[in-house]
Amino acid sequence: MWLPLLGLILGISLGLLTEIQIPEIYESYLSIAVLAALDTLFGGIRAHLQHVYDDKVFVSGFFFNIGLAAALAFLGVHLGIDLYLAAIFAFGVRLFQNIAVIRRILLTKWSERKNQ
Amino acid sequence: MKKTVYIRFTIILLIIGFMLAVQYNTVQNPETRDTRDIWAIRQELSKETETHSELLSEVYVLDQTILKYGNMVNESAEFALKDTVEQLKKDIGLVEYTGPGLTINVEPSLESIALGQPVEGISPDLLIRLINEINRFKAKDLEVDGKRIIYSSPIRDVNGKTTVNNIPVRNAPFTIKIGTSTFEDAQKMYNQLEASTIGDDFYIDNLKLMIGEPKRNITISPYDQALNNEFLKEVPEGKS
Repeated sequence: MWLPLLGLILGISLGLLTEIQIPEIYESYLSIAVLAALDTLFGGIRAHLQHVYDDKVFVSGFFFNIGLAAALAFLGVHLGIDLYLAAIFAFGVRLFQNIAVIRRILLTKWSERKNQ
Repeated sequence: MKKTVYIRFTIILLIIGFMLAVQYNTVQNPETRDTRDIWAIRQELSKETETHSELLSEVYVLDQTILKYGNMVNESAEFALKDTVEQLKKDIGLVEYTGPGLTINVEPSLESIALGQPVEGISPDLLIRLINEINRFKAKDLEVDGKRIIYSSPIRDVNGKTTVNNIPVRNAPFTIKIGTSTFEDAQKMYNQLEASTIGDDFYIDNLKLMIGEPKRNITISPYDQALNNEFLKEVPEGKS
């Protein structure tokens, strides 16, 4: 349970301590990649709780979503359309849905445990 | 099975954390490229050196005051205090100034006289611009049409008349007196004002700046109005 949290803390401290910065023009790509990664993560947690978790789907989804989001943003920049907004919208909606499902599952589990 | 899932999540979270931290780094302190060339750096350096020397001279003056206090403490502390008050009054312009400086005459331009255009007063904006320009060249004391400029002197339009210290400035011609620390400074100021583009701004308003030669002795009248202390209060006697 604590292992993933440790990973998160390790990742954040690694990023903060190395003080890596990316050029300003790539900032939007990174932010959208972060969003895509979060979306995949919560999707994975939900799948795990619903017992439909698949390793391949999760890992491929992670990298594919990030790539797709970045590609969409790239295309948007070159076409002059804010296409990244589409990605933000899609990921945002899915993020909320996933979190809502996770919450419901956890609530159900909790009440079941209480009834027992 | 479960362990591999946790390891996967850990790796993914590690990547997410790293990305978040990088994003945070980029947003919080964006890297600014130093695009100055050697000339710009040199100019900045000279500016800093100037500040340095100014600070040193200020320190010297303060050191002198401390020394004076030290000497006077046995004789008369009151005298030293009075001296300091006198010096402060001199610094902010409550005392008549006599020393090196130069005089600027603001006159109507020849064209406006030839064409018979009415002479209009100087606008507050233009006067403020001129005073900023003069202060930029390190003026010590300043007087516009007999009105001493101090730190709180207002320059504004009152019913269509430009006023300094709430007293209207005459239509051109009038004089502006500038006091400087040394005669060399006055010469420098003369050259800088001659080279400055402020004259062109006056020309647009049909006025002409006649910058007088630097003199070793000019007199600038003191500020003659009451000073309002908004924040400082007198301490009653016996308390400290």
